[in-house]
Amino acid sequence: MSTELATTRMFFREAVRRAVEEEMARDPRIFVLGQDVGSFGGSYREFDGLFAIFGPERMRDTPVAEAATIGIAAGAAAAGFRPLAVITYMDFLMLGFDALINYAAKLRYKTAGALTAPMVVKTTAGAQGQGVAHSQCIEAWLMSVPGLKVVAPSTPADAYGLMKSALRSDGPVVYIDHKRLFPTPGNVPVEPAIVPFGQAAIRREGTDVSVVCHGYMVRVALEAADLLAGEGLSCEVIDLRSLAPMDVETLAASVERTGRLFTLEEGQVTCGVGVEVATRIFARIGNRPWSRLGALPAPVSSNPVLEAACIPDPARSAAAIRALVRP
Amino acid sequence: MIYQLSVPAAVPGVEEIRILEWHGEPGASFESGDLIVELETHKAVVEVRAGQAGVLRSVLADAGDWRQVGLCLAMFSDGADEALPDGETPSDELVVEFDVL
Repeated sequence: MSTELATTRMFFREAVRRAVEEEMARDPRIFVLGQDVGSFGGSYREFDGLFAIFGPERMRDTPVAEAATIGIAAGAAAAGFRPLAVITYMDFLMLGFDALINYAAKLRYKTAGALTAPMVVKTTAGAQGQGVAHSQCIEAWLMSVPGLKVVAPSTPADAYGLMKSALRSDGPVVYIDHKRLFPTPGNVPVEPAIVPFGQAAIRREGTDVSVVCHGYMVRVALEAADLLAGEGLSCEVIDLRSLAPMDVETLAASVERTGRLFTLEEGQVTCGVGVEVATRIFARIGNRPWSRLGALPAPVSSNPVLEAACIPDPARSAAAIRALVRP
Repeated sequence: MIYQLSVPAAVPGVEEIRILEWHGEPGASFESGDLIVELETHKAVVEVRAGQAGVLRSVLADAGDWRQVGLCLAMFSDGADEALPDGETPSDELVVEFDVL
């Protein structure tokens, strides 16, 4: 009989808020720092009300100084705190790469395990009319850093569960929301629960091709799968959820069943997430037919026509999958 | 005449809203400009105001409920004693104005 968990419907911001509130209540070492995280309640209202509960000591507003914000978080993490650093746009992570990559991600290695940097950097990816430096998806860059964990939810339930795992991780973790997902609510378990890192989710079962994606592209893939189902083409859609570590087990088993791989991402395909997904799968089960789709090799314009032309949509995804399955 | 009030497409990208608060019970009369209901999106509150006079007859979604954009929230009529249609929703839309806060 079904043992489905009771759920409650909520927005992404409410799922994040709930995870952060629960984890801050159980671990006094967690504090939040970033622009507008204090009395304003977060750029996306994802910390609404937490300032009233936890106060300015644990909900710390910072100036527009991403390098310093991530640097302070790395130092505090090394000193025993568990900071959640909030960087509104992923594009601005670049300012904090030195502290994040050279210090936080290498700390355990450099100290032979004596120190860790249990910090989370929460940020947002993706295009939504905001132009060349507020639209990028650079998660593939982060995946190549030894010691760094990278997660990207596509549902409020995963936002909740992955944020809880992130705040319990010995990190560092980069947690990536997608701006275009924020308007869509979803069902979240009523009882507290975590989503472990390294577990992909099969969002739709299919037999002809495995479509591997993450973040907002899960929605695009599901719409493409709907289009193709009308033509008798069956897509299995897999949501990575956790990019590093990657659930190669689930991915490889799916591609073994379907015989084909299609990787879909909003970032650049050159040295992209899809290349890594394909390489890991084929190393395990041998080569299979594979094609990939991502952003055009161009900056993402704030012009809505050019923005839409640059990033994958359901029609172009469906066309690429069709070409792969029926060459 | 009977009218339906449906969830307005007030915020780009929003497909589903949560009802925050009704400003009147069935039987209440609304003049043009009166606040009928507040709806919540991921980042904004949408105030839905009457664009014509009418009587609120039945509420189909309570505070805290979720509704897709375009779905019926309530029924209105010109007069307080007009019979409501059985089972189906009226095809005429109540004229509304909305502010996104």
